[in-house]
Amino acid sequence: MLFAWMLLIVFLALIACMFEDLESDIGSQSNPNSQVQLAAQIGQVNRFFNKAISGEAPSYALYCTIAGVVAYVLLLKDVNPLLAIPIGALAGEAIHVIFSVTAHVGRTAAQKRFEQPIYLDVLYGHLLPIATHGFMATLCITAIAYIQCNLGTLSGMPALDHPFALPLLGFIWGITVGAIGSSTGDIHYGAEREFQDRPFGEGKRVVYHGKITRYADCGVRTQKDIAYFCAKYGGPITGFTFGLIILFESWRSLIGMMLGGYLPLQEAMASDTLLGTVARVATELIPAIPAAIGDLTAIIGIVVGLAIGIVLIVGNVVIVKWARKRYGPFVGE
Amino acid sequence: MTVGGGPVVEEEKTEGFSFPPDVTQLGIISAIIAIVIVIIPGLPAVVKAVGVIFALLWGMDSVRKTSKYGLGTGVPSIGVLATGYGVLGALVGIAFAGILNVSIVQPGVLIGVIAMAIVGLISGVLSNNEKIIGMKIPGLERGMMELGIAGTLAMLLQFSIVAGSLDFNLVVERAISNGVIAVMFVLSMMAMFHPYNACLGPDERRPRTLMVSIEISGLLFIILGIFVAATAVSTWGVAGVVDGISLIVFGLIVWIVFFVKFIKTAMREAHSTVGTGLIKTIE
Amino acid sequence: MDPILLIVVCVLAGGVLASLGVHLLPVGGAPAAMATATGVATGTVMLMLGAAMCGLFTAASVATYTSNILLVSLSGAVGSWLMMGVTMLLANLLYVFGAGVVPVSGRVDVDPITGQSQKEYKTPQCDGHGVPNVSYISGMIGALLGGFGGALMYFALLEYANFEPTMAGVAAMAIFVANAIIAAYNIGGTIEGFHDPKFKRLPKAILTCAIISLLSGVLVWVVANMGGLIG
Repeated sequence: MLFAWMLLIVFLALIACMFEDLESDIGSQSNPNSQVQLAAQIGQVNRFFNKAISGEAPSYALYCTIAGVVAYVLLLKDVNPLLAIPIGALAGEAIHVIFSVTAHVGRTAAQKRFEQPIYLDVLYGHLLPIATHGFMATLCITAIAYIQCNLGTLSGMPALDHPFALPLLGFIWGITVGAIGSSTGDIHYGAEREFQDRPFGEGKRVVYHGKITRYADCGVRTQKDIAYFCAKYGGPITGFTFGLIILFESWRSLIGMMLGGYLPLQEAMASDTLLGTVARVATELIPAIPAAIGDLTAIIGIVVGLAIGIVLIVGNVVIVKWARKRYGPFVGE
Repeated sequence: MTVGGGPVVEEEKTEGFSFPPDVTQLGIISAIIAIVIVIIPGLPAVVKAVGVIFALLWGMDSVRKTSKYGLGTGVPSIGVLATGYGVLGALVGIAFAGILNVSIVQPGVLIGVIAMAIVGLISGVLSNNEKIIGMKIPGLERGMMELGIAGTLAMLLQFSIVAGSLDFNLVVERAISNGVIAVMFVLSMMAMFHPYNACLGPDERRPRTLMVSIEISGLLFIILGIFVAATAVSTWGVAGVVDGISLIVFGLIVWIVFFVKFIKTAMREAHSTVGTGLIKTIE
Repeated sequence: MDPILLIVVCVLAGGVLASLGVHLLPVGGAPAAMATATGVATGTVMLMLGAAMCGLFTAASVATYTSNILLVSLSGAVGSWLMMGVTMLLANLLYVFGAGVVPVSGRVDVDPITGQSQKEYKTPQCDGHGVPNVSYISGMIGALLGGFGGALMYFALLEYANFEPTMAGVAAMAIFVANAIIAAYNIGGTIEGFHDPKFKRLPKAILTCAIISLLSGVLVWVVANMGGLIG
């Protein structure tokens, strides 16, 4: 059961971060938004949505924490989690939409002297895509927080429950998912889609800054034209990032727990057999046993994590080497 | 993270909605109101909510004042800093809540505020000193001190709303260990930095920015009100069901009033508000 | 040791390590999202906080079955190390296959670790792009130190100041984030790693963060003492 729950968390993480990235592309949040902001200032009036709700990390922390608190309140009232978590996520998204409106309207109003109008169809038309994508991300994060908060109870080993409360777990994963979404997914939007009429295969030069691609395949580009492009590469890679992180984290903890003897001990203690009684009495009488097992568990987890990290470093060396060989030195002017 | 605006020259505009007190006046008024409310934890939640509005408004004004010059890491960082100090200061405050009590007044909590004022001042001095970090932002010392105080006051008042008292064990049990502190943390920091971040631009105007802060405070009260009403142990007492529901209603009213007002003001003051339209071509 | 000394020393070490970690992360801020600057495309504080939170999560669950401070802190450090490693690796995948640029440093002509030349791969008018090997390794070290600092602070608050887990988590995060922000102000938002000339400003941030963490540590002890959690 424990493994099934862990895999479910990884799967949810994958979905969550993918939708998080696509949502930030639709709303134009975080780093690439500096170009949307700059565009109007250098005279490039545009029809982009200017959703400047801080960085993605604090904003996702906000939605996920609110979702977590509302879900927590409902769970206290004995509402089924299947209902409590979506309602929580819905509350988080309501706040999200409100913040989006204030950010877009506020920023556009502050660009009065550059003659950037507020297009009401841009404002209203983007709220629903933002809310739906954000809802998926918030829902998955809240579900992750709920499962981790009750992992032990769900898998029959109460000691595995995470010590943090549900809202704080929502906060932690909100910060993490936002940090990953802005550091990974934004690149596909900022370096490629936002400057698609510039040469491919080079960094976007400072002279291009602000001169974003304002026309779409047909007509004037809005943020909705961005999502389907980024959904092909940027979004999945971002989801993959968060999924891999959760996978590695869970996997190293589980390997540690299994090899270190923590999991068998917990299993034995949870059972009603003679072995279980012996295990309970032994851990009660000799506290050194669980302490030693716990230490060993932690050590194995650390060693496995370090080994994965070294593999990642090698992976980066390989990628950089490949790119240098394949692409060669900069040729252009 | 978006790029903070460069040095912006303060322009006095008389048109449109205006907010009377200037930065210093608002700071003094807010500080006095928030301090008076925070030392009497027996007040109903709605009154404390007024204190929170003023504390967050003050914090927001300080964020605006300091980040106008460009911090290098965007506006949000300083708001997060303020709330980080606020959490620490509020913990110090509730630890001292038991001493110096005079009937219903608990001035002991102000020790936390003073402690954070000192920490904020020191960090401001160190950050602005040419020989150390050298950020060269005028008034950063005062700004960071104000942020420490405002953050602490806001957190203390929210603790007081949720727990109904400032007693250490009660606050830890009812406002911290169940994780509701996370939502206080995140919404307080949003109320401090989101307004200026959202209204950033050359035509940013202070009264408009201040409205967003109050609007976010309204949202904060709705969430806290739901929490208070759902976890209340009594019906009529402090932090009871009635307190929670009145807080929800108050928050809703504050939010609707200021949200509508902000959107209307912003749409009126924007270059133009059009239903739809093509962009002008410059090439 | 005396609890006050333990708490203050752990919080001080945590704050200083957070500051050091921030200086080591390769962060390009907004320009990095346009492949105009080297580093990860987000703010310093957010990246460090994201990594430290990931570590804190693991550290908190490890702290339920071991009470060895080194093991808990190392678990947190490894959590951050994995988060940064995966993030930077997949960001590079996006740079290479999504934007078609070669990861290259803008501040040095030759990668100090692998000896690869950088200058001819760089786009003119750009300050490097992607996460080259030297920045990657610097970032991994930074995450390890930052995560260690965060988890150390958490454990000190949990075990020595007897805070309740959620309270310890929030308080540790509050102190951590204050230090990370001060360090971010010191580097002005962007840095490439230990080879960046800005890294020489490190002692100034360390001094500031040490003073702030020292005060925070004393305040935490005051909270624990006055709140009746110790003694």
